[in-house]
Amino acid sequence: MSLIGRPVARHDARAKVTGAARYPADLVRSEMLHCKAIFAHRPHARIDGIDAARAIALPGVVAVLTAADVPYNRYGLIDADQEVLCSERVRYVGDRVALVVAADPQTAERAAKLVEVAYTDLPIAGDALSALEPDAPLVHEHRGTNVLLHQKIRKGDIEQAFADCDVVLSATFTTSWQEHAYLQPDAGIAYYEGETLVVETAGQWLHEDLRQIAAILALEESAVAIRYAKIGGAFGGREDLSVQALLALATWKTKRPTAIVWNREESIVGHHKRHPFHIETTWGAKRDGTVVAVRTRTIADGGAYASTSVEVLKCAAIFAQGPYRMPNVATDAIVVYTNNVPSGAFRGFGSPQAHWAAESMITRIAHALEIDPVDVRRKNLYRDGDTEATGNVLPAGVSAIAVLDRCAQESHRRFTPRAERHAHASLRRGVGIASGIKNVGYSFGFPEQSTATVELIASARIERAVVRIGAADVGQGVHLILRQIVAETLELALESVAIVSDDSAQAPNAGSASASRLTFMAGRAVHDAALAARSAWERGEPPEATVQYRPPATTPLDLETGAGTPNYCYGYAAQGVEVEVDVTTGVTRVLKIVSVHDVGRAINRQQVEGQIEGCLAQAVGYALTENFKVRDGKILTPHFSTYLLPTTLDMPTEIVPVIMELADPHGPYGARGMAEMPLVPFAPAVAAAIYDATGAWVNDLPMTPERILAAITAARERTTASAASLVGASSSPA
Amino acid sequence: MDVGKVTRRRFLVRAALPTIAAGVGIGSPRLCALAQAAASVSVLPASGPGPMPVTLNVNGRAHELRIEPRVTLLDALRERLALTGTKKGCDQGTCGACTVLVDGRRVNACLTLAVMVQRKAITTIEGLADGDQLHPMQAAFLAHDGFQCGYCTPGQILSAVALLAEKRATDEASVREWMSGNICRCGAYPNIVAAVRSVAGQPS
Repeated sequence: MSLIGRPVARHDARAKVTGAARYPADLVRSEMLHCKAIFAHRPHARIDGIDAARAIALPGVVAVLTAADVPYNRYGLIDADQEVLCSERVRYVGDRVALVVAADPQTAERAAKLVEVAYTDLPIAGDALSALEPDAPLVHEHRGTNVLLHQKIRKGDIEQAFADCDVVLSATFTTSWQEHAYLQPDAGIAYYEGETLVVETAGQWLHEDLRQIAAILALEESAVAIRYAKIGGAFGGREDLSVQALLALATWKTKRPTAIVWNREESIVGHHKRHPFHIETTWGAKRDGTVVAVRTRTIADGGAYASTSVEVLKCAAIFAQGPYRMPNVATDAIVVYTNNVPSGAFRGFGSPQAHWAAESMITRIAHALEIDPVDVRRKNLYRDGDTEATGNVLPAGVSAIAVLDRCAQESHRRFTPRAERHAHASLRRGVGIASGIKNVGYSFGFPEQSTATVELIASARIERAVVRIGAADVGQGVHLILRQIVAETLELALESVAIVSDDSAQAPNAGSASASRLTFMAGRAVHDAALAARSAWERGEPPEATVQYRPPATTPLDLETGAGTPNYCYGYAAQGVEVEVDVTTGVTRVLKIVSVHDVGRAINRQQVEGQIEGCLAQAVGYALTENFKVRDGKILTPHFSTYLLPTTLDMPTEIVPVIMELADPHGPYGARGMAEMPLVPFAPAVAAAIYDATGAWVNDLPMTPERILAAITAARERTTASAASLVGASSSPA
Repeated sequence: MDVGKVTRRRFLVRAALPTIAAGVGIGSPRLCALAQAAASVSVLPASGPGPMPVTLNVNGRAHELRIEPRVTLLDALRERLALTGTKKGCDQGTCGACTVLVDGRRVNACLTLAVMVQRKAITTIEGLADGDQLHPMQAAFLAHDGFQCGYCTPGQILSAVALLAEKRATDEASVREWMSGNICRCGAYPNIVAAVRSVAGQPS
């Protein structure tokens, strides 16, 4: 029986239910030295001096490390603009200025309070819009500007197109930061194994952590090994280095095992977030519902360091018109340095923000033209052979319309009929629908590859296989998926396939656990390596093969026109939601979700459903409850008591994951990535449902009760005013 | 604290309204005080009472420790007894990852001082299985894939075990209500609820 699609259990499941699974903080031993990072806790300041004398004098303190101790004090995923320990200037509250290394955590804590850092506070660039002002303080002075990227996309004749439209609508949308809140706070250990410096933590990409840490310490990569313990969630939040470089530095300096465990506040202050966006957009359509022109100006707060901002913004730029064919496009996507927490990767990578505006706008176009929002979408959705705004033909396998149609059918079948939605005076129900598109894998010419080694244990027949691939299992179950693919390919039992994956010295580079890419990319690499190893065995050669898989090439976008080939694969999604709004308080509950995804092929149906349901929990938080607040560069929500994550009570009882399998031409067994897609159309689907229930549009995420209530009140006042002007009366109608 | 009596969300909603919070009653101010005590353990110099003998009965075994009275049950379990199955997610009683059973009642180990639970029977995730035989709740989480990253799982399982003993798992809504003190950021909630209900003998 085929292993593909079967809900076989994860091999680490037993350890996870018995407490035997070891996460980074579980590796700490009392004999290790303990590190405490000293945070700036101020958004922008010059460092005038660091006096560690009193701290070093404390018994038990081994070292207080500062910038002078870092061989190459620059790092970053794309642009190395961040210092491990700040030398002259701090640029956000989470910047680290010193690292105390002591015999035990309590001593490290006490010593950290004795380190005296003299600062001169500097004016701050407090948000993206003010950071663009000509007299704004510069976050990185040598750049001469706070603009990190300004990506333009130009297609057609936008002004003429708007002039020829029957309806033109404009609106401004905002989104806030989102905190990953992986439940396992950043932690880890470092030690020497012979001559090799080993850093054992949780991350999303062994070989990128290796590259950056080796560079920071000016070591050959062969002198460093990165190992992953069990990873307690990631969601993009472990893509940038956090504690890894601090640990490596401490052990490299002291030549002793070291440990660090961040508390929740340190984790929230110390790692990047999802970008807040300010989006001004104008959409123009013909009377028949054909949208012909979209103009968008997006300004994102990149925070103090580059992280992956430029890639996130380019993704947001190509999705400014959502998943729709568009003859006339003018997009400006700008990301700006500020003195806020850095923004970077988070599940969806710019696409949720772009869709917040785009999917809200297409529903408004539908309402303005009095056409069903599903029909307007169907008329404009991408089809096979369509051209993107960047000028390239879409990768084959465009399933947007099939996905939407399935979603409309399921939603119609399951949602409360319109006549029954307003049974209660203050509790009003509404339904909404939205479509979505998100790339699978790296974009814009970023080198994309995944490498795997498969070794066969064979005599007369193939008995077992060992797969080596450095793919991070962040909880999504990729190790199981890769074993399933190899077992299927070699016609072995699942138990006969072992995987070696958590050590950069033992497994080749899979690329990151991000961009919904590992099932596709690593899956294809292990599939191809398994076939190559079998061929070698059949030829009588050593039964082993290493294969690097490269997908169809992408290219950078032209900065002025956007011309290029951004991606090699897309995932398509559509969601229907039913909500209930208490119009007296604004409190909104999501009652039902239909979430439809073309996954190409579900390698493990249970895991795919888990990704859909789990991603939806983060989507509910993003849409409604997760209100990350920053004022003057200071984070006001550094705990779970103020940053509200969805609990099981916040989730609807009826979540319907619908898996469609329209095979991708390149993915293993036709699989394409899907783990980010449920976050993409969700918030605008909820906004449309709130509008359906109340007649009020909310433009700002998260849609807190206060914002919903304000929108309802404003909509009522508009209705009252227009009714009053119609009848020429001054008294308010009922 | 019995996490069931004041659900996390209800507590937070109340706590967000300062004028009401004062009138919540004995539960919440005590919780606040404990949260502050727990949070301050790691930042204050050791100026309080010094180490004292503390006996903890964990998973049927007595452990003699010398610890300061400010040490939480969570830190005692993890750092002194090497029982790292109990997880620290927030150290403030907001996530439920550190849930253990004390005399069968579920408590947040991060809000409980170790000295408070001497002579009580403490059950952690390591004490649930009978040798190789998983506890039915562990087996159900495994069968229903009630986790992804697994970090919240020990707390979820112990909370669920207590919930069944409390006889509150009467239907899906009550399971969700009484499991709402345990956050799963991976969002495996549907599978967690299904696992709990299967052990409660309910069809999912």
